[in-house]
Order: sequence, then structure tokens, then C-alpha cells
Amino acid sequence: MSWIRNDRGSAMVLTLVLAPLLLVALAGVLQLGALRVVAARVRAAADLATLVAVNDQDDAELARSGALRLSWDAAVVAREYFARELASSAPLLDGPADEIAAAADIAAYPSAPAYDTRTGTRYDRPTVRVAADVPVRTPVFGALILRPVTILHVLAVGSPR
Amino acid sequence: MKRGGAAAALGLLLLWSSPAFAWDTFLEEGRSEPPVLEAAPDLAPLIATPPGLYYVTDTYVQDVVTSSGPLTTYSTATVHESTGSYARVLDTVPTGASSAFDGSAFNGRAALTDGRSVAGTYYENFVFADGAFVPISIVFFQDDAELARHQATTKPPVTTVPSPAARPSTPRPLVSACCAAERPVVIAVPPAPTKPVRPVISILPVSIPLTMVEVLRGRAVTLWPRAFADGREVPVRSWTVVAGEAGDALATAGSGGVPFRSSWSRLAPPGGAYEVVFRIEVDTPETGHRTVDGAITVVVRSPALQD
Repeated sequence: MSWIRNDRGSAMVLTLVLAPLLLVALAGVLQLGALRVVAARVRAAADLATLVAVNDQDDAELARSGALRLSWDAAVVAREYFARELASSAPLLDGPADEIAAAADIAAYPSAPAYDTRTGTRYDRPTVRVAADVPVRTPVFGALILRPVTILHVLAVGSPR
Repeated sequence: MKRGGAAAALGLLLLWSSPAFAWDTFLEEGRSEPPVLEAAPDLAPLIATPPGLYYVTDTYVQDVVTSSGPLTTYSTATVHESTGSYARVLDTVPTGASSAFDGSAFNGRAALTDGRSVAGTYYENFVFADGAFVPISIVFFQDDAELARHQATTKPPVTTVPSPAARPSTPRPLVSACCAAERPVVIAVPPAPTKPVRPVISILPVSIPLTMVEVLRGRAVTLWPRAFADGREVPVRSWTVVAGEAGDALATAGSGGVPFRSSWSRLAPPGGAYEVVFRIEVDTPETGHRTVDGAITVVVRSPALQD
């Protein structure tokens, strides 16, 4: 009977010691999961912006040569749609979606072949490339003496194939 | 007695008679006569057009060449419909005169049997888009006629009959049977139509011929089957898709004034492409009635992400 009583006491101590650790681990896991969800949404935003811009073709060039060529405003279209898509995740971003999209490195290569000086890639088709650093709020990480804002690096490249 | 009974019965019937109260379909509209179907107004857009520009109510269909005995008439068939476009007169040219717009009309400018160009008028078509009038094409409305005699005649093959009343630069040199003697009449021998006809496919009515075109999957593209004879464009009477993958085209045949419009919702096998073959029919004095086949390779692409 006596060792049972001693066990009850040790269980309480053990719970008091481990509960904060468990809560911290749980919060960290939840924050990491939320960050992965935001990362997926940001990546989808960049992909969609790229595809929309690629879909914007120069009809005059098509009539002249029969070849697909990006419209002159493909980069503008990509930036606009990137901002629109980021706006749906605005509460999770550490900054306005417009400013994040404006700071993104978006390049359109209307004709091929072309070389991307940022990535060193050779494009054999007219290509739109979106590269952006998206700051995302991670308050739980901040409370855990980590960074309260996590930067997501996103890269999307699209072309008609 | 019988007469009296019949009269009494008739009187009773008249007294008991009452209106039938049949439903008048037009009573609710406050009128007793059937509605008169009013002709649909020609809805010209309420847009202030610049001077010289007018709303099109008769649309070009095709060039028409008719022969009645020795008289050959060159005219233009139109249909009374409004496509929402505008037009202006570019140039009115008499028979044989050259114009700065020669070769720019999508339907070309035919020639008489002696090689001179027919008379007519060049029009430029516009559409109103984004607050401005955008030129889309140039069309030539031919309006001419000539008299010809067959080779069996003993007279010289080509003779010009002068006329004191003739004016060399008649604005509308249409010759009718009644007044043909009042102006120069060309007596010519119809040459055998031996000029080769070259088929051409282009995106616009007047644009560079293409042998290959890239299109995005599902996006509609317009292809104009055209024909050239001796370096000059000749009007296409009709075209038909005779081979290849026509995609989701609504029509696989049409007249020369109507383009082939289609979209392809499926990609070709990797590394492959669709080839569309048009059978183009022309019937002009310089070519005769001919059919030629023209092909264009269609490469269907789709926006895709790269790794």
C-alpha cells in the first residue's frame, strides 16, 4: 500500500514537469502545420500567377509568325494575380499582399531561347518566372524564442508546352 | 300555329342569349386588333462616328462573276445584316487603274480577261473597341463589266472600240447591256486559265501565310484559307476541311468570306502536331474553276509549370 501512495506523488510531479513540455511541443507542431499550409497556399498563388501570365499571349505575333509569344504585359499580369492570390492569405502574412507582390522578382521571357540570370536556367519556350520571399507570421515560434516571422522562398516557372 | 310557335321559340332564344365571354387574347393589351410584328430596328450603336465612317448594314459575302452571253459582270454579293462593324471608303478605282490599296484587300481584286483590274471601291472595316475604332480589314467591292467574243470570230483578238461619248475615268464603270456603246468596250478572247493557284492559310484576312501555327489548348483560333495566282490574291469561292484534326470547329466548310474557326481541347501526342488540310475552291477568269489543297500544321500547347 505504501508504494502506491509514493507512486501517486511521483505521477503528480511528473505531470507538472512534463505538461509544459508537452504543451510547447504541441504548440510547435500546430505552428509548423499552419506554416506548411501557408507555404502551400503561397506556392499555389505563385503557380497560378505564372500560368495566368503564360496564358496571356501576343495575338499580333501569332498572326505574324504563327508562334506563341508572351504578351508584353505578362510580368504585370503575373504580379497582379500573385497579389490577388496572396490577399486570400492576408491574415497570415506579415505585410500587405500588394507590397509582397511588388517586391517579388517576376520576369517574363517573351521569346525563346532565353537564359534566367537568377536561376541560370535556359528556357526553350516563352517563360514566366516568379520568385518571391513571402514573410509569414509565426507567433508561436516567436514565443518559443524563435523567429516570429518566417520567410518563405517561393519559385514558380511556367511556359506553354 | 307552327309559324307562331317557331317565332315564339326564336324570340325566347334571343331573349335568353348572352355574350359568350370568350377570352380575348389581346384584351389585356388594351387593343382589339392582333399585334403587328414590327421589324427589328437596326441597332446601330449610339456611338459618335468620325466623319467618313458609317455603320455597316450590308455585309460582304463574296465576289460574283456572272456571264450572260458576251457580257460578263463583276459584282459583289452582300447580305443585309449588321455585324457591329463600321466602314469607310478608301478608294474608288476605275477599270484598269491601279490603287495604293491593291493587294491589301482580303478578297483581292479580280481582273478582266485582258488583264486589267476591275473597277470597284475599297472599303476599310473597323470595330469599336476600348473607346476607339480599330481597323480590322480591307475589302474590295468590285463593280464592273465587259463584253467578249469568242475566238471563232474573224476580227482581231483584242480591239478597242472608241466612242465619242466615252470618258476614260468613269467613277463607276459599270456597263449595262443598254448603254454599252456609250463607253469603251473591250473585245477580248478569254485566255485559257493556266495560272497556277497557290493555297495559303493565315490567321487574319490579310496577314502573312503560315505553314505552322501554335495555339493554346482550348483557345479559339481563326484560319483564313486564301489563294494566290501569279502573285496576286484571288477570291476564294469556298473551302472545306478534307483531312486532319479539325478540333472543335463549328463548321468544316464555308465560303470565302467566312474563316475557319476552331479550338483544340486535346494535345497532340508528344512531339506530334495536328495537320489540317483545306480544299480551296477558286473560280476567277484568270484561274478558271479550280480546287487546290492547302495544309497547316497546328501545334497545341498548354500552359504548364516547370520543375
